[in-house]
Order: sequence, then structure tokens, then C-alpha cells
Amino acid sequence: MDFAAPNIGFVIAAYGISALVLIGLAIKTLLALKARERELSELEKRQAPRRKVGHGR
Amino acid sequence: MQRFANPNRFAKSAQRILPAIIGAMLILFAAGLYLALVQAPQDYQQGETVRIMFVHVPAAWMALLVYSLMAAAHGAAIVFRHPLADVAAKAAAPIGACFTFLALATGSLWGKPMWGAWWVWDARLTSMFVLFLLYLGYLAIWQASENGRGQKIARIVAIVGFINVPIVKFSVDWWNSLHQPASVFRRGGPTIDPLLLSPLIVMALAYLALFLALWLMTMKTEILKRRIHQMQIAAAEA
Repeated sequence: MDFAAPNIGFVIAAYGISALVLIGLAIKTLLALKARERELSELEKRQAPRRKVGHGR
Repeated sequence: MQRFANPNRFAKSAQRILPAIIGAMLILFAAGLYLALVQAPQDYQQGETVRIMFVHVPAAWMALLVYSLMAAAHGAAIVFRHPLADVAAKAAAPIGACFTFLALATGSLWGKPMWGAWWVWDARLTSMFVLFLLYLGYLAIWQASENGRGQKIARIVAIVGFINVPIVKFSVDWWNSLHQPASVFRRGGPTIDPLLLSPLIVMALAYLALFLALWLMTMKTEILKRRIHQMQIAAAEA
């Protein structure tokens, strides 16, 4: 790629915005998944003792 | 497909295939960017700006493919009552919206040096903008209502809105357009030079792999969200 070519700024901007949006989307997706996994495991931990008590009766 | 009707089984299968999809995606992006930015020659008319094609066209293809998948998934939800079909459609929407935004934004960045304008109300650009609005409307419906009514409206929007997909595809043939006609998916085969076609195909496969990875992750997130909701209801009732 010739960085001295005319209109090269448009090419850099197109790749830049694509990278920004796609990497941002990937990070947001990953963080949302991790947050739900954490929330579920905490909920399971909280509910596990209750279930044990229930089985004992 | 009914094998994956069980959300837990689906989540486990997704977990197993995700590393392979992410690995393939990284390899495809590395190869695609090398071919697009280093190997591909300048165009004799467009010069370096032709390289915008390698991010613009795959984004536009994915925008159409994802919306078609959403309509098909909602159709499957109505006909086969597959329990994950609505989840699949809902999970695909934000990814499709991002691809549509990128197709519009990179198209605008390509249009300015080539046509002398950031935007024209041309048939292809306008129908693509309508597709973006359909995505936003669909997402807004899910956002506004998490109950069954929202799901029904979302199904209608996705299926009725699908009529816009062939309009986007054939807009350059049906109306006079500044936008160039199809040069890859056309009768008689591609008219584009193989030196430019190969990076385009590799980048399109990279975008497809990225979509599959994000789609599976978002579906898994949605399944977990629903399970958490059910557990919270059960805990509140106990």
C-alpha cells in the first residue's frame, strides 16, 4: 500500500472504523457472556445450600 | 436441528466449536488483510481507494445474509416451533446492525473520493439505509418489550422486512444508480480481476467466521440470561 497516494486518508479511515466497530462489538459480546456466566454461578452457589436443605427433609 | 432444541446441549456444543471458529477467523483475517493491503494491486482508475472494497463489500454481504438468517429463524420459530429459533434471530440482530452501519460508513468513505459526495439518495444506498433502520427498529422492539408480545412483533418486522433484501440486491439492476452493478454474484461469473477477487473472498470468509463466533457467544449469553431469569423467579416463589 502506498501511504503517499492521493485519497489514502479515506482508505485508512475505512479500515480504522471497521476495526473499531468490530473489535468493540467482540469485546462487548465477550464481556456480556462473562458477566452472565458469573451471575449464573453466583446464583447457583446461593441456591445450592437451600436445595441441600430441601433434600434433607 | 431439533438435536439442538435443548438450550443446555446447544450451549455445550457452541462451547466446543467456538475455539475452532475463532482460530479460523484469526487466520482468515491475517491472510485477508495481508492480501488486501500488501498483495492486491492498485486499481488503474481508483488507485489505492479500491482497497476500501475489501472491508465495504464483506460488510454489505454480511448485512444482507444476517437479515436473511433472522427472517429464516423467525420463520422456523413459527413453522417448527424450534425453541432456539427466536433466540438465534435476536442474537444475530446487533451483529447485523453493525455490519450494515459499516457498509454505509465505508461506502460513504469510498463515495467521497470516487463520486465527489459522501451520500446520494441512490436506490442502493437508500435501500441499504432502510435495512439499517429495520435492524434498529427490530432491536428497539426487543429492547422495549421482553415478553411474548415483543417476540411476536419482532417476528413480523423481521419477516415483512425481508422484502427489502432482494430490493437491496437488485436495486442496481432495477434503477439507474451511481453504485456499480454486481461484479461477483452475477450470471456469467465474476467480472472482477482475480488479484482483487481473492482478497475479497478471504475477507468475506473472515467476516463470516467473525459473525459465527459472535452469534454463538450472543446466543449463549441469551440462554444464560433466560436461565438466570427462571432461577430468580423460582427463588422468589420458594
